[in-house]
Amino acid sequence: MFRLLSKKMRRWQTSNSNNQTKAQQKRSPTYLSKNLEENLQILREALGQSSDVVIRDMKINSNSNVDAAVVYIDGLVDRDLVNHDILQPLMFNLQLIKDNVSQNHSSLIDFIKSSVLTVGQISGTEEIDAVISNVLLGNTAILAEGVTQALLIDAKGWEARSIAEPTNEVSIRGPKDSFTETLRTNTALLRRKIRDPRLTFQSLQIGERSKTDVSIAYIKGVTPDNLIAEVNQRLKRIDTDAILDVGYIEQFIEDSPVSLFPTVGTSERPDVVAAKILEGRAAIFVDGSPMALTMPFLFIEGFQNPDDYYARPFFASFIRWVRLVGFILSIYLPGIFVSLSAFHPELFPTQLLVSVAAAREGLPFPVVLEALLMLMLFEILREAGLRMPRSLGQAVSIVGALVIGQAAVSAGLVGAPMVIVIAGTAIASFLVVPYADVGALLRLIMTVVAGHLGLFGMVIVQLEILSYLASLRSLGVPYLSPVAPLNLSGLKDTFLRAPLWAMDSRPESLNSPDTRRQSPGKMPQVPKTNPNQRDSQ
Amino acid sequence: MKRGQRFKIYVAIILIIMPVFLSGCWDSNELNKLSIVSGLGWDIDPDTGEVTLTYQSIIPSEIKSSSSTSGGGEQKGGNPLHTIQLDQDTGSSPYDVLSRYAQHGSRIPFYQHTQVYVFGMDGVQQGIYPFLDDQSRNPVSRPNVLMVVSETKASDILGIQDGMENIQAFGMAAEIKLSAAFSKYPAVTVLEFQKRILSKTTAPIAPIFGIVEENGPEGKKIQKIRITGTAVFQGDRMIGELNERESSGLLWATNKIEKGFVIIPQASLEIVQAKGKIVPELQGDQIQITIEIDEESNLLEYKGRQDMTSDILQELEKDQAKEIESQVMAAVEKSFALNADVFGFGEAVHRKYKKEWKDLKPKWDDIYPRIEVVIKVKTHLNEIGDINKALMKD
Amino acid sequence: MSLEKGKISNFQLSVLIVGFTLGSSVIISPGQGAGHDAWIAVAVGLIEGLFIAWIFTAVVKQFKDKTIIEINSLVYGKFLGKCISVLFIWYLFHLGALVLNSYIRFFKLEIYPATPKTVGLLLLMLVCASTVGRGIEVLARCSIILVPLTTLVAISDTFLLIPHIDLNNLMPILDVPIGKLLLASHGAASFPFAETVAFLMVLAFVDKPEKGPSAVSRGLLMAGFILIMVVARNAAVLGQMAAITNYSTYLAAQVIDIGDILTRVESLVAINLIAMGFIKISVLFYGTVLGLAQVFNFRSYRPIILPVGILMVILALTNTENTFDMIDFANKGYPIYAISFQIGIPLITLVIAKLRKLPQTGGDKV
Repeated sequence: MFRLLSKKMRRWQTSNSNNQTKAQQKRSPTYLSKNLEENLQILREALGQSSDVVIRDMKINSNSNVDAAVVYIDGLVDRDLVNHDILQPLMFNLQLIKDNVSQNHSSLIDFIKSSVLTVGQISGTEEIDAVISNVLLGNTAILAEGVTQALLIDAKGWEARSIAEPTNEVSIRGPKDSFTETLRTNTALLRRKIRDPRLTFQSLQIGERSKTDVSIAYIKGVTPDNLIAEVNQRLKRIDTDAILDVGYIEQFIEDSPVSLFPTVGTSERPDVVAAKILEGRAAIFVDGSPMALTMPFLFIEGFQNPDDYYARPFFASFIRWVRLVGFILSIYLPGIFVSLSAFHPELFPTQLLVSVAAAREGLPFPVVLEALLMLMLFEILREAGLRMPRSLGQAVSIVGALVIGQAAVSAGLVGAPMVIVIAGTAIASFLVVPYADVGALLRLIMTVVAGHLGLFGMVIVQLEILSYLASLRSLGVPYLSPVAPLNLSGLKDTFLRAPLWAMDSRPESLNSPDTRRQSPGKMPQVPKTNPNQRDSQ
Repeated sequence: MKRGQRFKIYVAIILIIMPVFLSGCWDSNELNKLSIVSGLGWDIDPDTGEVTLTYQSIIPSEIKSSSSTSGGGEQKGGNPLHTIQLDQDTGSSPYDVLSRYAQHGSRIPFYQHTQVYVFGMDGVQQGIYPFLDDQSRNPVSRPNVLMVVSETKASDILGIQDGMENIQAFGMAAEIKLSAAFSKYPAVTVLEFQKRILSKTTAPIAPIFGIVEENGPEGKKIQKIRITGTAVFQGDRMIGELNERESSGLLWATNKIEKGFVIIPQASLEIVQAKGKIVPELQGDQIQITIEIDEESNLLEYKGRQDMTSDILQELEKDQAKEIESQVMAAVEKSFALNADVFGFGEAVHRKYKKEWKDLKPKWDDIYPRIEVVIKVKTHLNEIGDINKALMKD
Repeated sequence: MSLEKGKISNFQLSVLIVGFTLGSSVIISPGQGAGHDAWIAVAVGLIEGLFIAWIFTAVVKQFKDKTIIEINSLVYGKFLGKCISVLFIWYLFHLGALVLNSYIRFFKLEIYPATPKTVGLLLLMLVCASTVGRGIEVLARCSIILVPLTTLVAISDTFLLIPHIDLNNLMPILDVPIGKLLLASHGAASFPFAETVAFLMVLAFVDKPEKGPSAVSRGLLMAGFILIMVVARNAAVLGQMAAITNYSTYLAAQVIDIGDILTRVESLVAINLIAMGFIKISVLFYGTVLGLAQVFNFRSYRPIILPVGILMVILALTNTENTFDMIDFANKGYPIYAISFQIGIPLITLVIAKLRKLPQTGGDKV
């Protein structure tokens, strides 16, 4: 039986074989023929009989009235653009074409490409497969009789969600735009934040059937080159049917797929992604997803919030501590309560013990079970509140929690202290958004261990978690940097948030080749002498 | 290392961990299976030598209902004793008694929150060594528990509900600490007692509680407990007692004065701060101890019906000093009478004269009563209060 | 050297040493036998420990990048070297079992009377095993987080105990006869300071080997100061009880009571202890496993981690009959037994290495 299971495990593990991916094993390309009708027939077969495929026959208005066809998919193209900037110049500009056309048809195509069509992006191809895939992407193809080259024009335009406020990462002071599902919009949003010419977007297409556009964004010279190479390599290794969301990419390229903790960061805010790129990371955008990935991702990033940087340092540091402490509490509090109640009552201050013991009278379940029940109840309520149709959502989450808690206490099922503990835990668990799910799991583990082995068990499990975190790496960077290994300058943004004028260099852990972020000594100062400011006047 | 091998290691680890979880939790005790003992009483029958232990345990459900009704556990609606439960058992030795605890009830006794240990008068006169050894050895005991001697039997004291606390032993503990804060009687923890016993020359002490009858509402007699003195031990046996004045003197000398009052014929003063230092001097074979006391006080009440002058202030300071001196002297004389070094003179000599101490220590019982004690008191009257002239003059 | 690819920085080394040294000494205070002058014994022991550290770091300075196993083989020749290495490994292994033993005894006594010792031992060993399996780097990173926390707890304990500290308890100074004091100092040196000889297995992986010895001294000094503070504070609070009680730090922590709320913090102390014990046991475990792998030329030390761990647990279980034996051995037998490993092996190796003018440039033979 072991052999069976170990064989299975082996299959799932990395294979370093040089097998070609499915995508690479396609057939050799076929080329366009000179006969327009032949080409169109092949296209019609390849694209199926879908009703949204438009093949628009026409005649190019030139000396010889060449037969041509414009092929596109309705719904993916901007109809106005196709009509005005493709069809119109071809069919309508009598004067121009007549005057300047002289030679054979192949250069007709070149001429059209360079001087007639008033569109931005245009390219040519001689392969049928390229035409097919481009049309599917939303481009428009032009084929002409007697020409083996087809023109591909980017006239994409489809309904997309407008830029809205971010739903998951709320910021009070900062900008309120968030990414949308269109890749181009997102890259544009990023460009507006970083206008450096060295900001580079590297494009890939991933997914056998989805052919999703994926972009790697980085600043050349700030992001280390080996990081970019590594990201490229990992992305190229992906060989799957479809990439429907950025999460798919994340799960294929992350450093530790089996771990609880994420080693790849996500964000839906352009300012966050821009900041991370500026520190020396790389970002990955996926068409169709409003989230961007950032790599590498360190443990401490979960506690960093964009608001921290827009607010002033003391408050920001304080809030960061609140988050840290709250997160720790949200994991430990039920466990501590359980282990103190069941194993170490001597650790309660005496009066507190009397109250807790009093509340415990007559309750049917052992403390562990009580805690686990309440935790599960909380998870159920939370998840139900998320999935419920909008109209009912509010009622369930708040009222449900309070009423159920109160009713449970009155019915004598759980004790009042337990409700308070769980309520506190629940609220604290939302402090750190990236680790909310991790926290829930850890909390459960801690509570079970606490119920079985008390504080000793909790400490052992905590040591194991610490050891595990210390061994994680994200793209080669140790997960617990800058605390362990210790990096003093990196600490400026860890437990405290040092004032912006003090953060001179990029975080060392990210190994950026360009470490200087700003010139030192920029603390704002009141000018020394200002004749207009004299007190006595 | 092959991947299959790594998998086997995971399985091995799981097999190792599993028994830990399968065999159950050993130390887990649900709170509602514990009986929290708030006070423990210890009586020894002088004739038979049998030990009677009295347990005062908390009944949590009473606390629950009393706090959910109207709050405050005083002598309103119902018998206040309901928050605690008293059990007694007798046996040949303490653990013999403890083994029978199960006969009293359904719960396991839990001693980690015990506030006071009460010793009956018979017990302390016979010696409480077994108890001390148990306390030092037993990992469950805590060093902060207060030691108390009862005028009669321990069980009597533990049974009397008094005051505003809803759990009697908490009330006792609070009372002791308050007395110590008001510089009347010392508060002695188990650790203190242990330290004194370990020093072969210092005498352990503990406050004494007695029962006092008072007139209550509707003419009924109510019993209350009050601290009535300080017990003085030699080793583990009680040999004598200090009264209220002597106890205060002891506190003055050992630097344990916090708040409180000095009452002199002309006035009452409030102690702001006081320091006591024991300074030994060795001259040949004769030991002289100087007790230096430095005190600051405020004037609270002046019976003189005169306006305040600096002469009067100096008078008051002198009278204060005399009063303090006489208190300390009383304590010193009583300690000589009992031949018990309650002040720690021996240790003071040890600290200063370590070479000579080796010879002095075995002879301490003889040396002690012959010590010359000189008391030097310095007092400062800081504030005279809100008024500086008398309301009514003679 | 393909067995361990990681490198640790000098700072991490110092932190590891602090954690290691504080490991079991926060439970069982060093300097026993000197009464209330135990803190002086610890201070003198620190000096002795620094001296011993100077000796064994000199060995590593001589041969950069090599663990003591490899050095032994170079210095004594393959066969004799391996025999001596096995002895050294035995010392580490035994010490690991001793530390495990003392921890679990403490827990079983004070906190978990009913739980069988095996459970605690197995769990503690498993955590150490998994950390050792991850390499020395991970251990170093864990210690960077754990050691400051522990130090913070130790220092804040001291602050919380200020109302109970009575400096008179420390007087008179130097009350014990000099003979007893020196004996206690030597006891303090061999436990815990000179136990850092275990780091002969770790020093090879420091990224700047020249700075290694000073990192060791810094770590020892820091740990030494903390220990002196702890021992002195215990004596000041507990008076003469500190001398007769087995676990004085724990007892002192039980005294803390601020405003009736900040009370009963002794469990924080207990948790502290687990963290430090984890570091100490992991280092010893690591040394044992790595050493065995080097002696027998394994490709990797990972397969033997679990078996060694289980053996250590067994040794810890069967080691001593009761606490009294353990304390007896710790005070009387151990200082003598340990000398041969702490001073003996490094010193002789160093002398022979210097005599033979090793390492030769070019051509290492292991």
